[in-house]
Amino acid sequence: MKRLARPSRHKLFAHLLRAGGLLLVAGALTTLRPAPPRVVLGPPHTVQTVSPTVCVHTRLTDEVDEWKIQRTLHMVREMGAATIVEFFPWPYVERERGSYDWAHADRIMRHAENQGLTVIARLGLVPAWARPPVREKVTTLTYLPAERFGDFARYVGAFVARYGDRLGGVIIWNEPNLSHEWGDRSPDPAAYTELLRLSYQAAHAANPAIAVFGGALAPTNEPEGSGSGMHEVRFLERMYQAGAAPYFDALAAHTYGFTHTPADPPDPQTINFRRVELLRAVMVRYGDGAKPITITESGWSDDPRWTRAVRPGQRIAYTLEALDLVTAWPWADHLCLWQFRQPSDFHNRRDAYYALVSSDFFARPIYEAVQAYALGWENPYAP
Amino acid sequence: MNRWTARIRSLVGGDDRRARWRFWLALAALLVIVAGGVAWRLTRPGARFGPQDGTWRRVQINGDLYVGLDPSYPPFAEWTPEQIVGIEADLAREIGRRLGVETQILIMGYDSLYDALYTGKVDMLIAGLHPDATLTDWVYYSQPYFDAGQVLVSPRDAPVSAMRALDGQTIAVEMASSGDAAARRWARRLHALTIERHLLPQDALRSAEEGRAAAALVDAISARLYLPAHPGLVMAAEMTVAEPYVIAMRRGDFRLTAHVEQALQAIRADGSLDEIIAHWLLQAG
Repeated sequence: MKRLARPSRHKLFAHLLRAGGLLLVAGALTTLRPAPPRVVLGPPHTVQTVSPTVCVHTRLTDEVDEWKIQRTLHMVREMGAATIVEFFPWPYVERERGSYDWAHADRIMRHAENQGLTVIARLGLVPAWARPPVREKVTTLTYLPAERFGDFARYVGAFVARYGDRLGGVIIWNEPNLSHEWGDRSPDPAAYTELLRLSYQAAHAANPAIAVFGGALAPTNEPEGSGSGMHEVRFLERMYQAGAAPYFDALAAHTYGFTHTPADPPDPQTINFRRVELLRAVMVRYGDGAKPITITESGWSDDPRWTRAVRPGQRIAYTLEALDLVTAWPWADHLCLWQFRQPSDFHNRRDAYYALVSSDFFARPIYEAVQAYALGWENPYAP
Repeated sequence: MNRWTARIRSLVGGDDRRARWRFWLALAALLVIVAGGVAWRLTRPGARFGPQDGTWRRVQINGDLYVGLDPSYPPFAEWTPEQIVGIEADLAREIGRRLGVETQILIMGYDSLYDALYTGKVDMLIAGLHPDATLTDWVYYSQPYFDAGQVLVSPRDAPVSAMRALDGQTIAVEMASSGDAAARRWARRLHALTIERHLLPQDALRSAEEGRAAAALVDAISARLYLPAHPGLVMAAEMTVAEPYVIAMRRGDFRLTAHVEQALQAIRADGSLDEIIAHWLLQAG
């Protein structure tokens, strides 16, 4: 077989070189990713609302993308809610003892301030270094040993010192009357009162004007001594008996309606919306009636698969009725709806049907109805 | 010697170097195409050197089919003291029977379903799932076994089969449902459409029954639960808003998916699926 003449070999080599170059460019193009969206704060906003009662619990703790934080808070403002409740877990900030990483908290607070929102900060969970080593005891993220109460209080103080002027208050712990929120131990009102005392002192030392919320009690019918929880009315009574009264400025309470209308009368054995009035009665009985109650979690689910849910129209009607009720109660200031939006609806169906906005920012009818309520517009979902 | 043989000889042994090169390149390209075709046939899913469906093989050898189900949704699936019952439980058992294997129902929370399928704990999910476009890289969705979407229900003596027939009339819907959203869209398309909103689908159906509205647009489950006791109403044949329930399987289980599709088609064709659905909806009603 004849060999190629030298010029032909050069030509072939040039073609191969070009083809190789093209392949390299094509390969490089496939690895290209769109640039992350630029997040610009923009001019500061203020919330337009005719109902300061309207508040939502946001879920930005695990939101990675800054533009989603901004979009969420933008939609909250557009809905007419002037206040949000947001969770700032202790382990996210103080991963190592004495070393604080405020980056994510700063991001949330920066955008909230830019949108003109007041933040009620829920503080809780325990970093690994504050829990017993696993070889000694396997514990959950909610297990806070009594000897670490001071460390938690120090975190509360540091948080208030950093954000105090921009906060609507701090909630000390979440649902301490449920076992799984108290380190899978029996709820202990006296221990919680001690945690509240230390946290209150640390918060007020950092900023005397800060409002410290006690409780964030969950509605439950569990009797005292149960392995799952303690009736919130009993828990609050035991808190007062342990001397909690001077150590909180307002009571945070959770109240859910499930299938009941908001007008259903309070009943210690039925979990319904007005059950929160039973907590108010305890406060009055212990001479603490001047303190307000902030409902930091509430709402109805419209999950078609859940027997404790209602239809979407009922959800709207009940939510608006509940807002009217809370506005009329002189002892309650906010009704914070659980929940505005979560980062992913995929692995949490239960919360997805409590959300006002889907994880891909689709505003559900309940959003439009609450927006109309807060802005004084005509209800688009009136019968 | 024919014309083509002569042409090829001239290309192989001729003096035209460019023509000779073109010939060899064309021959090489042809060989590459043929080799590619052979490789594709041999490495197709299920072929001698291709990926195998281990799930289908295991189902055949062990004689059991694991189905994930969330028993919190009567009448589709419910956990009674004796067993798991409902439309989806019966459908799972019927598919197993048609495949000649025993159905093992594994109950789990809704949020665990896809994880159980992904990790191979179950072979399929029958749990009121809608097709999810974000999962189709690994999840195969079957043809629907039920459509829970929004359907028109109207008086039997003045049936309404499509939204366009409601121009100038009143429609009753369940407030804030997907039917409500559909009615709003149609109100923009038609000359006039009055929307009457009700808190519950039953109230919307009653409005159509009593003649206040020309039709009600409600979810198919509510409609099918309501209709047996109200023979004066009739359901349109087609859904206005589709919300199909489908079976989810792993895309890699190509033999299982094919057999399940065949079984589902047979169950539908001989009326067994309608019987199962009618039985449980009647019980729930």
